[in-house]
Amino acid sequence: MIRLPHLFPAIARRAAPAWALMALAGSVTAQAAEEPARRMGLNPPASSYGQMFDDLFMMITALISGAFVIVLFMLLVPVIRDRDRKWGDGTGKPSHKASFDHGRSLHDKRFTAVVSIIVFFVLDASVLYVTMKDLREGFWNIPAPDTPDVVKVEVLAQQWAWNFRLPGTDGEFGTADDILTLNDMVVSVNRPVQLNMTAKDVIHSLFLPDMRLKRDVNPGAINEAWFEPITVGTYDILCAELCGFAHYQMHAKVRVLSEADFDAWVQEASILALAAHDESDTEAQWAWDWKE
Amino acid sequence: MSSDHIHPEPTTFLRKHVFSVDHKVIAKQFMWFGLIWLLIGGIMAMMIRWQLASPGTPFPVLGPLLFPATGGVVDPASYNMLFTMHGTIMIFLGLTPLLIGSFGNWCIPLMIGARDMIFPLLNCLSFWTLMLGGLVGFYSLFVPLGATEAGWTGYPPLSTTVGTQGTGETYWAVAVFLIGASSIMGGINYMATIIRLRAPGMTWGKLPLTVWGLMFTSVLNVLFIPVIGSAMLLLISDRVFGTSFYEPASIMSGGVGGDPILYQHLFWIFGHPEVYILILPAWGYCCDMLSFFSRKPAFGYRVSVGAMGAVTVLSALVYGHHMFTTGMSAMLGESFMLLTMIISVPGEILFFNWLHTIWRGSIRMTTPMLFSLGLIFVFGLGGLTGIYLATIGTDIFLHDTYFVVGHFHLTMAASALFGVFAGTYFWFPKMFGRMMSERLGKIHFWGTIVTLTIVFCTMFVSGYAGMPRRYYDHTSAAYLQDLQWLNKITTHSALLLGAFQLIFAWNFIKSRWWGKLASENPWEVGTLDWSTPTPVPHYNFKQIPTVVTGPHEFSNPVLGEDRDWISQTEELPAGA
Amino acid sequence: MKGTTLLMASAGLLACLAPAMVRAHSEPNSDPNDGAATEEGHGEGASVTPAAGKGDGPHTHAPGQLDDLIISEGAWLIAPGADWFATRAAAGEARFSESETAAEVTEDGQGVDEFESGWIDSEGEYVFRYDEEEDEFAYWQWVDADTLTSGRLLFVQYCASCHGFDGAGYGRSAQHLRPPPRSFQQSTFKFTKVISDYLPSDQALAELVKAGLDGTPMLPWALSDMQLADIIQYFKSLSPEGTGWRDVYSEISDTVEIGADPYASDPAAGVAKGRDVYHRIGCYSCHPGYVSPAAINTIAGKDAGTSYRDDLTYPKATRSSAFDVQGHYVQILPPDFTFHSMRSGRTARDVALTVAAGIGGAGMPQWKQSEPGGAGIPDDEIWAIGHYVRSLVDEYHNQPAKRAAFMAGLRNGD
Repeated sequence: MIRLPHLFPAIARRAAPAWALMALAGSVTAQAAEEPARRMGLNPPASSYGQMFDDLFMMITALISGAFVIVLFMLLVPVIRDRDRKWGDGTGKPSHKASFDHGRSLHDKRFTAVVSIIVFFVLDASVLYVTMKDLREGFWNIPAPDTPDVVKVEVLAQQWAWNFRLPGTDGEFGTADDILTLNDMVVSVNRPVQLNMTAKDVIHSLFLPDMRLKRDVNPGAINEAWFEPITVGTYDILCAELCGFAHYQMHAKVRVLSEADFDAWVQEASILALAAHDESDTEAQWAWDWKE
Repeated sequence: MSSDHIHPEPTTFLRKHVFSVDHKVIAKQFMWFGLIWLLIGGIMAMMIRWQLASPGTPFPVLGPLLFPATGGVVDPASYNMLFTMHGTIMIFLGLTPLLIGSFGNWCIPLMIGARDMIFPLLNCLSFWTLMLGGLVGFYSLFVPLGATEAGWTGYPPLSTTVGTQGTGETYWAVAVFLIGASSIMGGINYMATIIRLRAPGMTWGKLPLTVWGLMFTSVLNVLFIPVIGSAMLLLISDRVFGTSFYEPASIMSGGVGGDPILYQHLFWIFGHPEVYILILPAWGYCCDMLSFFSRKPAFGYRVSVGAMGAVTVLSALVYGHHMFTTGMSAMLGESFMLLTMIISVPGEILFFNWLHTIWRGSIRMTTPMLFSLGLIFVFGLGGLTGIYLATIGTDIFLHDTYFVVGHFHLTMAASALFGVFAGTYFWFPKMFGRMMSERLGKIHFWGTIVTLTIVFCTMFVSGYAGMPRRYYDHTSAAYLQDLQWLNKITTHSALLLGAFQLIFAWNFIKSRWWGKLASENPWEVGTLDWSTPTPVPHYNFKQIPTVVTGPHEFSNPVLGEDRDWISQTEELPAGA
Repeated sequence: MKGTTLLMASAGLLACLAPAMVRAHSEPNSDPNDGAATEEGHGEGASVTPAAGKGDGPHTHAPGQLDDLIISEGAWLIAPGADWFATRAAAGEARFSESETAAEVTEDGQGVDEFESGWIDSEGEYVFRYDEEEDEFAYWQWVDADTLTSGRLLFVQYCASCHGFDGAGYGRSAQHLRPPPRSFQQSTFKFTKVISDYLPSDQALAELVKAGLDGTPMLPWALSDMQLADIIQYFKSLSPEGTGWRDVYSEISDTVEIGADPYASDPAAGVAKGRDVYHRIGCYSCHPGYVSPAAINTIAGKDAGTSYRDDLTYPKATRSSAFDVQGHYVQILPPDFTFHSMRSGRTARDVALTVAAGIGGAGMPQWKQSEPGGAGIPDDEIWAIGHYVRSLVDEYHNQPAKRAAFMAGLRNGD
């Protein structure tokens, strides 16, 4: 370390960063240990394309870890090896002379070009290829219009809740048996769920972390999304676009039921929806033309 | 046109210290301005982190003063205001004035061998317009409904009267407009100065890379600030005059309307070049300082300039990666993704050049050098994590989570801020005639880099685990409750990070008036700015110098054994 | 040179002040609904565009004008009165004046301020005021302009997106929302657990806002007590003159009293008793019945041939008498406790209080007996219903298979 003014005992001075680290670690551990549950990663993906995200994330992590290790190496070696150990001792003479190299020889330029191309192909192009495949096969692969067994859901986001509409037993949106739920999306396992989403007021964003799905919900336009649940269970829905002071409270649940349970639920919910339906209450209707 | 005519020195107090047209005074004005706003923005960050780690507990000391109605607890609406103003302040009122306003003003005329900027009055106006913008923004904190709460990105309809009532948001838009105007003025000034006022012999190939970085930044400023200016004008129009540029016709009730996505396009066409505006000067300073303190030439000077230029050109074409989840077509999304990956290549090239610069150098571990090395480290981390966000497959999940927050803080807050710190420690001796304390500087550096890495790398973990950003309280949703421990780690480290900045503040103030007197060229660097006496006279150079050597001729064997540097005005001795 | 500087500086200043000079409207753009509307009915295959309801009157969600964020004048609002005043008089802190038309309230001899025909103590607390027109002594509370302003600012930030700026319930986010958000221009509340003839006390309102209403966008907002108090005073002041909190005949009551839970130690007994009470008093006339008709006959002591409404296992919709959306009184479906979430029934106590107080304007009667033996049911039976209803939720909610089996059994007549 560079020589420091003699104001504190040498050891305390030199170890100052270490003291800071230890104090930090101590206080952090103490506080964090109070938290009852600790999670670091994600729940297993609950949708058919969810694993693509996990795999892609790991792939990028592996690639950039390698890159970062190289960078760190090239950073630390000069710092340790090439330090002018005699700087500041008053003699004005360095411990060793730097190697003089402008780096503008043809060799250097070629080397830079080659390394850049390699880095681009290893880090970027590979990832590009994988993700383009993922998008086409998964995330943006909205089911074709004639796909059987699709569960269609219209999502109406508002400050600060999620309205969901299912077409009911007649399969048509905009009819009396449409099932309306608030903050409770009910879908079937192993059946693709296709979403049409819009908002009443400001921009929101539908985020289903366990499904690895996120899509903005814009007022004045219909955004499409889809996912296919693969495990029965209840999962979380969060809002992922700042929408006001209660943005953090805008969460909902998606309940993935077995196919039999789902059919039974739709049956019951449609009847109850019919009972609740008020034909004369036109202001309450909010269905729209389904956008494929 | 540079001339040997020296203008008389100003005599009145106002002309000397307030409405000065001397680039050196204006540089110091920008510096004080930026540092004070950095402090305000930093305190806001502390309040944000406090609330996140201990939801519902009052913020100590300042809390009861600022939020009496809740007993010192930050309420949800104020929380949104805090992160909005934190972002706006740090970017527009902190980093920009420091990186570009302060060091740009200081370095450009001195490094190119000019007496002043080519438009000194415009320079003065640029600062005072910024001051006006800052005051308007500050004033917005005191209107009845308080300052804007719609995020520094200010997406409509949340930022139109649908989502935000009152005048705070309008004042914010006006402030951003004024600040933008200030940057445009500065950009024009810098470009014209660099193009026209270079001393004889100061060819483009002999310019320090600091000047190149500032040149490219100015190009971006002049091209893209007008875009956000127009976005703000349309927003003000929507709010004040009842137009509906950004308010859509509801799909459910017919009628004509505008498009909130229009704003996003306008904003990010500016917004992405903006992040390059912030980092290019820091890259420039880093390139130079790594060379200066390794006593080695900057490796691949022309390639570095080319890389910075490529980044400049490409920066406008990649903005869509902020909007992958808005529902754009697949082809558009993939195009933006490809371009974003391409723009990473010049950045990588710059990286190699830095690492090659220090490789086999003779490294002097001064504080500016530490921060330059630190910039390599944090920008490496930040830049590499950008790949996750450039890739649509992962960005779909990571968008609007803490992952993004970690990424942009590492690339902006850490890297650009390290540029600020490096520049401050480096140019302080010439600006103020005294040395900053190396001991305090090193404590500042190590404390900052350790805590900063913990703070923002923890955010990668929580972002990957699905923690969304701009949330007031993560314990409200069941999904996020078991991530609260990460919030605590982040906050503890953030509070320590804030504390270490106080050491810098103390160092700055103490050294400014009571620091050790500096020699004229303590760093033994050959650029023209270090060839002036300290304090630099108001005319900079008694005689406009003639430049004959490059800025990075360190350890050139022809210099012999006695010295390893040469001034740009001195001819290199004949080869050995 | 100097002139140019001056010019540029003035231009900059003007650019900055211009928005302030033009009145910044706080009124959001209402839905641009007038005019363009496609008339399409609910035919099969045809899509519904809600604009099709043009005949129902304009359904613009124009959340009302908000001319000023700052309120310059305070308001008189009805306050919980009689007992308060009597207590104060007994303690020697209040006395009638000689004319018996007004009373003077003193607080430790610190003196009083005079306001029109009323009196206010030095802390701005409740005052006894004589209303000449009505020839009534009423107990009023003076809410000063600062409190109302603070309340309005908070209301605009936190509440107006649904409740509208004028509190009429037509906020931008209230479009198509059923149940519609509360209008504060009426003075009926559904879930404050206060007997419906009375206005809810500040405490009851605060508890409601803090708890939120499950299954609606009315979330438990993170407001401090001070902020809540200001908001509550503000929306109380939204009562039109002569109604609600500005009506001399209004009386305020706290949450209904039902005593301690007699089944706290043995909830199962409460559930069993509750099942009997529920089907004896006829909850099934609106809510579903959860035992077979034969069982109801046994419980209620009716003849075997008694007929009930069709589909006893489904609830029956009623039309609200108090809650409307622009003139249209909304239909309310009473919850099926095994399927729907209750707005305000997280615990047995919550349910019991709701049963006791009734739900004003929504067809749910008040079951608390106003005097022993009067209309209604005794408190212990109210508690029993609370336990029973919660047991239905706990057993069948979000358990579609179990519920389907239970309902199938009911419909088969088990």
